[in-house]
Amino acid sequence: MLHAIDACVHCGFCLPACPTYALLGDEMDSPRGRIVLMKDVLEGELSLHDAAPHLDRCLGCQGCVTACPSGVAYGELITSFRGWSEPQRQRGLLLEARRAAILRVLPSPAVFQAAATLGQVAKPLAPVMPKLLRPALDLLPNRVPRRNRLRAFYPAQGLKRGRIALLAGCAQQVLAPNFNEATIRVLTLNGYEVAVPPEQGCCGAAALHTGDRPLALGQVRRNLAAFEPQEYDAIISNAAGCGAGLKEYPAVLHGLPDQPQAEALAAKVQDIAEFLGGLLDRGELRPALPATRPLRIAYHDACHLAHAQGIRREPRELLRWISGVEVLEVPRGELCCGSAGTYNIEQPELADQLGELKATSILSTQPDLIVSGNIGCHTQITTHVGRQGGAARVMHTIEVLDLAYRGEL
Amino acid sequence: MTSPFAALQRQLGPGKVLLSPAERGNYRFDGIQFGVRPLAVVLPETVEDVVAAVRAAKAAGIPVVGRGAASGLSGGAVPLQPSLVVSFTRMTGLTIHPERREAVAQAGVVTLSISDAARPHGLVYPPDPASFRTSTIGGNLGENAGGPLCFKYGVTGDYVLGVEMVDTDGEVHRLGRDAYDLTGLLIGSEGTLGLMTEATVRLVPPAKYSRTLQASFTSVEACAAAVSAAVSAGAVPAKMEFMDGACIGAVEDYLGLGLPREAAALMLVDTDGDDPAQVEAEMQLVEAAFLAAGGQVRRAETETEAAALWQARRSVSPALGRIRPLRMNEDIAVPRSRLPQVVAEIRALGEEYGLPLVQFGHIGDGNLHPNILYDPRSDDPAQVHELAHRIALVALQHGGVLSGEHGIGSMKREFMADAVDPVTAEAYWAVKDALDPDGRLNPDKLLPPRPTHLEDSHVHS
Ligand SMILES: Cc1cc2nc3c(=O)[nH]c(=O)nc-3n(C[C@H](O)[C@H](O)[C@H](O)COP(=O)(O)OP(=O)(O)OC[C@H]3O[C@@H](n4cnc5c(N)ncnc54)[C@H](O)[C@@H]3O)c2cc1C
Ligand code: SF4
Ligand code: SF4
Repeated sequence: MLHAIDACVHCGFCLPACPTYALLGDEMDSPRGRIVLMKDVLEGELSLHDAAPHLDRCLGCQGCVTACPSGVAYGELITSFRGWSEPQRQRGLLLEARRAAILRVLPSPAVFQAAATLGQVAKPLAPVMPKLLRPALDLLPNRVPRRNRLRAFYPAQGLKRGRIALLAGCAQQVLAPNFNEATIRVLTLNGYEVAVPPEQGCCGAAALHTGDRPLALGQVRRNLAAFEPQEYDAIISNAAGCGAGLKEYPAVLHGLPDQPQAEALAAKVQDIAEFLGGLLDRGELRPALPATRPLRIAYHDACHLAHAQGIRREPRELLRWISGVEVLEVPRGELCCGSAGTYNIEQPELADQLGELKATSILSTQPDLIVSGNIGCHTQITTHVGRQGGAARVMHTIEVLDLAYRGEL
Repeated sequence: MTSPFAALQRQLGPGKVLLSPAERGNYRFDGIQFGVRPLAVVLPETVEDVVAAVRAAKAAGIPVVGRGAASGLSGGAVPLQPSLVVSFTRMTGLTIHPERREAVAQAGVVTLSISDAARPHGLVYPPDPASFRTSTIGGNLGENAGGPLCFKYGVTGDYVLGVEMVDTDGEVHRLGRDAYDLTGLLIGSEGTLGLMTEATVRLVPPAKYSRTLQASFTSVEACAAAVSAAVSAGAVPAKMEFMDGACIGAVEDYLGLGLPREAAALMLVDTDGDDPAQVEAEMQLVEAAFLAAGGQVRRAETETEAAALWQARRSVSPALGRIRPLRMNEDIAVPRSRLPQVVAEIRALGEEYGLPLVQFGHIGDGNLHPNILYDPRSDDPAQVHELAHRIALVALQHGGVLSGEHGIGSMKREFMADAVDPVTAEAYWAVKDALDPDGRLNPDKLLPPRPTHLEDSHVHS
């Protein structure tokens, strides 16, 4: 950890890329500040208790990683620091309970479905609920979509070109089941058979990034057992956070006996936009129908797609490829929307301010449609665009493609 | 122990005065140097907040250090003794006045955002330090920052029309250039004469067309001669950037852009203007001069190609970071005619000390950045320091100066005695004593040691 810290030459180039610094204007809430805080804590100059508030405000969006000219691996740094420091943290009972609950409810679609349905009942009661629970309730949609259980296998249509495994995601299955359905339709239409290994579970990113390493390790190993990388052309994720999480497996298991398996798996993982973008580059993507009317689409870079996985070009090209679509750039697009996993629940005020900023920036482009590649961003942007009275719908890149294939865009 | 600034914290309200060790930790360094943890940090939002902070520091007899984004490379914003740091990052008010071609920016406005805000009005703010996505206008004024564009368009000081500043007693002044040019005095004063809270800067319409050329030379002599020939022929390129052989090698190792490794010097040149024919004609002047001097020339035909050629220059920082984690970024300026000797002597010094050293810079102004690369775990900091001093002496021997744009700060202060004659030193101190009689504004920075006889009078007064 100290080695990564030493790579920082404190030039400050990361400051403008950091959303919390943009809001608070205090260096301690900047990447450079957080790196120094971690260093001070590790070297015993500072207590964890004193450093924690600033470290807790970090969204883990990795905007700073993109901006850093010296290649400081901030993402790995904060993750390992949280893993190291979490067992030493002392929180209030209610906070601790909330944390534990989130980390265990989110990853299980069945439990999350139940919680979400229950939450809907509780929603009208929000004003009288304990303040700590309110942000979680605000996050829930007003109507929980009906949950369609995914089958374990979907055959290719027409000539079979390959075999894909789909990471189904956790909360996403409940909040936006159509992301997976659209993914399966587009892939099978392009000649890929799609397997959804039933033994798979949460990717582990949420637990890992909040410092619950034991929980994360269990989840990671469960997936290592569930996916047989050699059987598939690709293991596809359509949730930027989960995709980034899977690609991180080798780092998580670094030095452990199952590191080689993690590497084999990570080598096959691709985001859906990355995979389809590859087909497009090679001229192998099946043509889609033009949009039924000219469409201005504001594309929002999900942090875990753009910063963590470096995927920016492919989703834009896929959208632009549909005739009639114009892709709009969002001002200050590199800044996180404030969703960031469980951040919405743990730091509701900052998350709200960032969501508001993001919605304003997006709406300034006057889009007909807003597109992003991550469920977290989807929920956050929908909420805040709605609050600002914006009419544009928020969709996943794959939903847009799916509609284009059906001539319904 | 209660902090002398607890009362200030109550006065300004929550979140503006940081007192805990965690909150103050980051404010002890800038882009290069570490100093001491300040006693307190103030994050002012208004000029009144700044006044209150400066008054509190005066009452407590404690030094005040102004700070922008702390991207400085000379230790300017770093407290060296227990101090109050005033960090301007929340003062980001910005108004564009297109009709007057002016912008009014509070100290904490990020440099690039002035152009971003002005561009819709058909205007830009030209000074372009490589740090302009991060650095603040207050810090740019503090250092009189420059950048690649300064050969043609000038440095920060050439664009400042007026400044609002808070003096050491907490009085607010609005300085224009009406009587004595006190604005000019403050620019480049590195926070030693007052805290600037707002600047009015000049905007200009951006050039409509530009042309880009990359050229390599087998010797630095040939390169310097080519540049002089181009300038004598009447070319005023917008940018003229230089990289030495070691720097070319570092960038090649990092990105493999296909740069000529065997070359001793690489040049990047942009010409710009509103008339495409003229821009092209100017580039042809440059090209002819470079070819005549034996340069290998590549022209960019499209914007994408131009960006690709400039990528070499933009990649210098990250490329160096991969060789050694840290670098001492020197910043000297010498007469252009002396450049070949200076580059050769500095290269020889690097070899003598056995430390990797690369040189690049804004050759139009003779501004050179020799970078000593080192690893604090294996290289001896004293050696690095000594080498930096010898580089400074090379500049002075050739009639140059200690800083082209990064300032003197605390890093190069000790070399100032070599650079400034006693009479001038006395004049500097007379100004300092007049504006900051108890010496609390960014002490231990910029100025050479106080002449001894002044030391006496200062103590008695
Ligand atoms: C990778 C890199 C590249 C760089 N490239 C260039 C370059 O091309 N050209 C160049 O000139 N510089 C360059 N710099 C150096 C640095 O960015 C500049 O010196 C910049 O002007 C500093 O601005 P800042 O806001 O970071 O100021 P700081 O570093 O915070 O402060 C600089 C000085 O100004 C004083 N100061 C700050 N704000 C105020 C205020 N409001 N009132 C009074 N005094 C104040 C401080 O006390 C200090 O002495 C580079 C730095 C880095 C890290
Ligand atoms: S940009 Fe990178 S090297 Fe510079 S301060 Fe940030 S993390 Fe450190
Ligand atoms: S990960 Fe995001 S929030 Fe955290 S320090 Fe980096 S830019 Fe800031």
